[in-house]
Amino acid sequence: MDLLLQNLKTFWGYTGFANFEWSYLIMIAIGIIFITLAIVKDWEPMLLVPIGFGMIIGNIPLFAGLQVGIYEEGSVLNILYQGVRQGWYPPLIFLGIGAMTDFSALIANPKLLLIGAAAQLGIFGAYMLALALGFSPAEAGAIGIIGGADGPTAIFLSSRLAPDLMGAIAVSAYSYMALVPVIQPPIMRLLTTNKERLIRMKPPRVVSATEKKIFPVVGFLLTAFIVPSGIPLLGMLFFGNLLKESGVTKRLANTASGPLIDVVTILIGVTVGASTQADQFLRGSSILIFGLGALSFIIATFGGVCFVKFFNLFLPEGKKINPLIGNAGVSAVPDAARVSLNVGREYDKNNYLLVHAMGPNVAGVIGSAVAAGMLLGFLA
Amino acid sequence: MKKALLIVCTLLICTVARSQSQSHMVINEYLVTNVSDFQDDFGQQNGWVELFNTSYGTVDIGGCFLFAWKKDGELVKYTIPKGDVLTKIKPRQHVLFWADNLPKHGTFHTNFVLSEIDSIAFVGSDGRTYIDKVAIKDCGEDVSYGRIADGGDEWGVMPNTSPSTNNSSLDAKSKSMIMKESDPIGWILSLTSITVVFLALIILYLIFRHIIGRLASRSTQAKSDKSVNAAEKVNIADHSSETFAAIALALHLYNEENETHDDESYVVTQTHTDRSYSPWSSHIYGLRETPTLKKNRK
Repeated sequence: MDLLLQNLKTFWGYTGFANFEWSYLIMIAIGIIFITLAIVKDWEPMLLVPIGFGMIIGNIPLFAGLQVGIYEEGSVLNILYQGVRQGWYPPLIFLGIGAMTDFSALIANPKLLLIGAAAQLGIFGAYMLALALGFSPAEAGAIGIIGGADGPTAIFLSSRLAPDLMGAIAVSAYSYMALVPVIQPPIMRLLTTNKERLIRMKPPRVVSATEKKIFPVVGFLLTAFIVPSGIPLLGMLFFGNLLKESGVTKRLANTASGPLIDVVTILIGVTVGASTQADQFLRGSSILIFGLGALSFIIATFGGVCFVKFFNLFLPEGKKINPLIGNAGVSAVPDAARVSLNVGREYDKNNYLLVHAMGPNVAGVIGSAVAAGMLLGFLA
Repeated sequence: MKKALLIVCTLLICTVARSQSQSHMVINEYLVTNVSDFQDDFGQQNGWVELFNTSYGTVDIGGCFLFAWKKDGELVKYTIPKGDVLTKIKPRQHVLFWADNLPKHGTFHTNFVLSEIDSIAFVGSDGRTYIDKVAIKDCGEDVSYGRIADGGDEWGVMPNTSPSTNNSSLDAKSKSMIMKESDPIGWILSLTSITVVFLALIILYLIFRHIIGRLASRSTQAKSDKSVNAAEKVNIADHSSETFAAIALALHLYNEENETHDDESYVVTQTHTDRSYSPWSSHIYGLRETPTLKKNRK
């Protein structure tokens, strides 16, 4: 009988209940909130469901040495986490993004590229704020990239510059990407006049197949020569796009934009979520990162919209750009472009800005990858 | 003939590729007179030569040579043995050869002593490619001569001997720390980076706006000119997105009438009709042949 009781007592010591701490419960609750937001509100479900469930997986109380925790070398989760830690997953996601992205809007109206550059102001605004709050330059760079509104880039850069903050940065980046429809519209309304919101833009010209084929090659050569440290992201992005546009690698493009990106999204989501173990995540710095992340999105939106207003000063009547597409310069594809469409239609039911907003939106993907390359070159 | 040519080309490429990787090795430092400096595994003090892998990939130096020209002009060749795992030099790492004329002591003991040598060379595994060659200069007891920075071009007397380690100690400060001192507010980095982002995208804009856009537009127009009658020239750019929207709507309605559309709204369903037959997916190839009975002849 004593032996049985002793065994039960030992077993109790192995359970999650015996190792329970309130911090784990908080993280599990955050995970459940993520899943709820994804299912009920339909906010970035492809990301929030894996991340939310990953948070639950990573916050089951364990005792050390069980070889199942994400930070225990050799455990299954740890092996899957290496893709995040070593930065393998983000370039693979970029391959899929490239294979899914149609750069036609950008090629048809290349000046929209500049909006994508202006919206990167969020990255550097947050970088300077993070420095002022006492983060080291490397940490500040990793935090600043949240403003690029690009989850894979944020993971890639933070894994190199500030691995300890990666969980908070990744969760913050994906959370705010999901909140783009909530964060951006008030800023857009605040910065624009009624007259500006009603600007109608000319339909973009038809882009030939040849131009689409040339774009990834020229785009890659140019950006990679300027910022070689961005090669993993830029190379995969443009390579994926070439697979799509070449017309002769349909199977490869379909795999990259379908099964491959799905598999990597699942792995990156679950492992990033699981990496937010309470003892690693619930710190004062995480709260600061969340605050800075929100500010970076606000600055990025501000940068994009104000740049369009400034740019309009030099454009003749009839060629002016609707500043409501300025927000799309952050690379949350296609949510930011959808926000432009929805806000635009609030003021003019027949003004469809989506096709125009896709230009700065995809330019933002290129811009954030270039910015990440710059930060990597200066700070890694 | 073609096959032979292909094999020769492949071998040539392999040889070139191999010698290319070996070409990243340099003679990095040497000590001629070792009186009270480092000892080898046998407790002996002898001169040494240090090589450095300047590349970011592992280089196998097995089969390469160290050529040493004595002061009387005689050439001594030392072949670095193949198959030793230690001859695979990791990226940015060093390897040390004891110049003790005791090659039986192992892979890293040469068949010459530096005090008798006028110059040495590191030679590729083909025995002909001189990868690096230096004149030997005796700087005195326990004083080595080497590249000021590992793999760099500038040579000098080393303040301390540094066999198998960096010639100059690396700056302990990380880039991040340097940036913190030089740009505490972060505006220099921010301004530089945003300028570069703009620059990259402006160049891309200019290329597409003024070169590729125009070329493609001309080519499209030329094709369009060829394909239609001279009387009915059609400019593709004249078609607005409304035209395409109308086509899409017509297709959508057609599909709906024919019940080929699924439940999604605002989505035009194109039915896939290709038959992607492949022998790999054919069940017939996965089956055994049906056995047949052979009748005995009487």
